[in-house]
Amino acid sequence: MNHFVKGNPDLCMGCRTCMIACVVSHEGSHIFEIDPDSYSFNPRLHMVKTATISVPVQCKHCEDPACKAVCPNDCISIIDNVVTINTTNCIGCKNCMNACPFGAIDMTEVKCEYQAKGEKKIVANKCDLCRENPDGPACVAVCPTEALKVVSEEDLINNVEKNRQNTAKELNEASLKAEKVCK
Amino acid sequence: MEELRLGKYVVGDTSKCTGCKACEVACFAEHNKKTNGVGKTVGTVTIPVTPKLYVTKGDGFCVPIQCKHCEDAPCLNACQKDAICRIDHKVIVDVEKCIGCKDCMMACPFGAISLLPLCKNGKVVAQVGCTDTQLSASKCDLCQGIDGGPACVRVCPNEALRLVEPEKERKEKNIKSAYSLSLTKSFGKEELK
Repeated sequence: MNHFVKGNPDLCMGCRTCMIACVVSHEGSHIFEIDPDSYSFNPRLHMVKTATISVPVQCKHCEDPACKAVCPNDCISIIDNVVTINTTNCIGCKNCMNACPFGAIDMTEVKCEYQAKGEKKIVANKCDLCRENPDGPACVAVCPTEALKVVSEEDLINNVEKNRQNTAKELNEASLKAEKVCK
Repeated sequence: MEELRLGKYVVGDTSKCTGCKACEVACFAEHNKKTNGVGKTVGTVTIPVTPKLYVTKGDGFCVPIQCKHCEDAPCLNACQKDAICRIDHKVIVDVEKCIGCKDCMMACPFGAISLLPLCKNGKVVAQVGCTDTQLSASKCDLCQGIDGGPACVRVCPNEALRLVEPEKERKEKNIKSAYSLSLTKSFGKEELK
């Protein structure tokens, strides 16, 4: 199973450090020293803030991704358990953006790349779990309240197993009590 | 930072479309009302029916195919005559400039462009120097300049067509997703490191 980053709305305080870390991870830390217009500030996760909740939303790296299915140019593929966009052939058709039920994909300008008539190239943009970063997802590493976690297949299986054990235990206790009442 | 604005587009729903082609007819009628005098009755139609979206039948389903108004549009990039341009976030063909080279038709991965007869003043336009019909690229322009927005969306009897506003919808989906995260709070509370 593909792994993914999950936010915890109870811990998130909406500071957006994860968004900045995401940009730094993909653009390099030199962005702090250069002209803000000379790189593209395109975080791959989106902070959602409403009256009752704050949490970043990012790609779930689905097992049968809708975005991958609708891409006309086969730009989206699963590489090393990560749903990845190859933006070289992306034509900005927005199909993936429409298909994703989480709103995890947006479109972004590519700096220094232009279309045939001089317009900025605009391509799909989404979480790639910092594939090229040896330390793993930058958002997880920087979150000051540890509201972001990488969820692996093992974590999912362990969690389900734990829940099943608890449920079985409770059922067992309930039946023991029922037996006592009967006697 | 200035917000990036993306082009809207119309998308069909295969589960609702019955293939009645009301969208194609409405598209043709709206676009030829002023220039070719097409009215509400069949008698007013003196030219070939040239829609800008194409109802397509698959195995057990049908749906109209129309332009996605791509942000890095292959048709726009392919056109050597500058006949396709982006106006107000819509990819628009200027039929006056189009020479029917078919490059856009080949470049579009959706099949959203067809070469159809060019008509003016209720007549088919002939090519220069001969009587053959002049063909030009025909694709969705989201009913630019027409009151009430895309005619196809308005007329569909089954509400199978929808105008997609990509950025607005993404934000709505983001919020739903955030609320669903609050239901997974118990996940891995003890074990997960």
